[in-house]
Amino acid sequence: MITRWLTEPVPRSRVAFFRTIVYVFVFLDLVVFTPWVRAHANTPGDLYQPLMIGRLLPLPTPTPLLVNTIFWALLVLSLAAATGRAPRLLGWAVFILYFEWMIIAMSYGKVDHDRIGFLVALAVLPTVGRTRFRDQSLTEAGGWALRVTQIAVICTYFLAALAKLRIGGLEWVTSGVLAQAIIRRGTELADMIAVVPGLLIVSQFGIIAFELLSPLIFVVPQRWRNWVVAFFYSFHVATFATITISFAPHLIAMTSFLPLERIGRLTRRRAGSSAATADVTPD
Amino acid sequence: MSELTTRGRRVRVVATFACLALLVAGTFFGDDDHFPFGPFRMYASSPDPDGDAKDTRVEGVDVTGKTIVITESNSGIRRAEIEGQQAAYEREPARMARIAEAYAEHTPGAPALREVRIVVRWHGIQDARPTGTWTDEVVADWVRP
Repeated sequence: MITRWLTEPVPRSRVAFFRTIVYVFVFLDLVVFTPWVRAHANTPGDLYQPLMIGRLLPLPTPTPLLVNTIFWALLVLSLAAATGRAPRLLGWAVFILYFEWMIIAMSYGKVDHDRIGFLVALAVLPTVGRTRFRDQSLTEAGGWALRVTQIAVICTYFLAALAKLRIGGLEWVTSGVLAQAIIRRGTELADMIAVVPGLLIVSQFGIIAFELLSPLIFVVPQRWRNWVVAFFYSFHVATFATITISFAPHLIAMTSFLPLERIGRLTRRRAGSSAATADVTPD
Repeated sequence: MSELTTRGRRVRVVATFACLALLVAGTFFGDDDHFPFGPFRMYASSPDPDGDAKDTRVEGVDVTGKTIVITESNSGIRRAEIEGQQAAYEREPARMARIAEAYAEHTPGAPALREVRIVVRWHGIQDARPTGTWTDEVVADWVRP
């Protein structure tokens, strides 16, 4: 039964849209969201503190040549992959390069936790094979890819709650954690919120409750699921509005919960009957 | 509908549970070094609701005597990365020469830095709310020899 749930078939079209969103985001991540990674090209080499994976493999200390080669290769390959062509070859290449890109990013003293779902999406998309925007036939391989991305997204919440209990203990909920976060990176909105007595503590109770309950998304009736996803997104809107943390790659991975094939229907409806003969999908 | 082969299905189920097991193990026993399987420990600590909050900044003083805040955009090094290695900078302030180098590299044409220091601004917190008061503490200081 668990196997059937893990590989519950989805329309190929959904995977096709998800694939394009994910690979376009790789491009945007490099140039818009995390441009600082590239700055490590000329960060002095002795500030490099490789992560365990970097020591095991063992990966080289980043040099300008290495960092810039990965940067430009990823820009070209991610856009090529976004077209849906050669999904395995381009998909694996993008996954390997982006993973190394992230290892470089996290090897200078700070590890981010906003992209496990996204890394999982990159790792599994190549296993789906060819998909097309208008192909409504069902695929189990695609269903698995979306399912494990969803699981990784929910792990980011649920396991974060467990990490809070492990590291901060139960007193996390009444600690000064949000007050500290606001002092470090709070917006004007956050400064207004921070002075309301008890509000930050209530928010901390809310956060851990929502994180612990997040796996329920897998059992709520389908018709409510999009609302739950909307709630997740609203949490990140609030986080961004108060402490300017975007979790952008996580937000992209979360689209794996959405009926993305409807984008195709929407655009076709908008294009009217003339679109009936024009195929939006590259072949 | 295209169905998976028995083998394809088995490989996927095994891979799913293996990764999940690593992630759960990382959550309970791992640390950041185990990326991508380390714990999701962002904001997981429990600072004292009546304790001071730490806001770290890195400052440089250039040869003209001007104080500059070192940021990701003028040095390519993120604040959290300097904090992550703060103990090493405190032990060995000479290491901060690297920050001056990174600044020179990323801000071409700017006067060179003759001093780099890590300053912690301690903000007062009472009942998990900021009090609006603060004091500065220099935790590491490097002056170009």
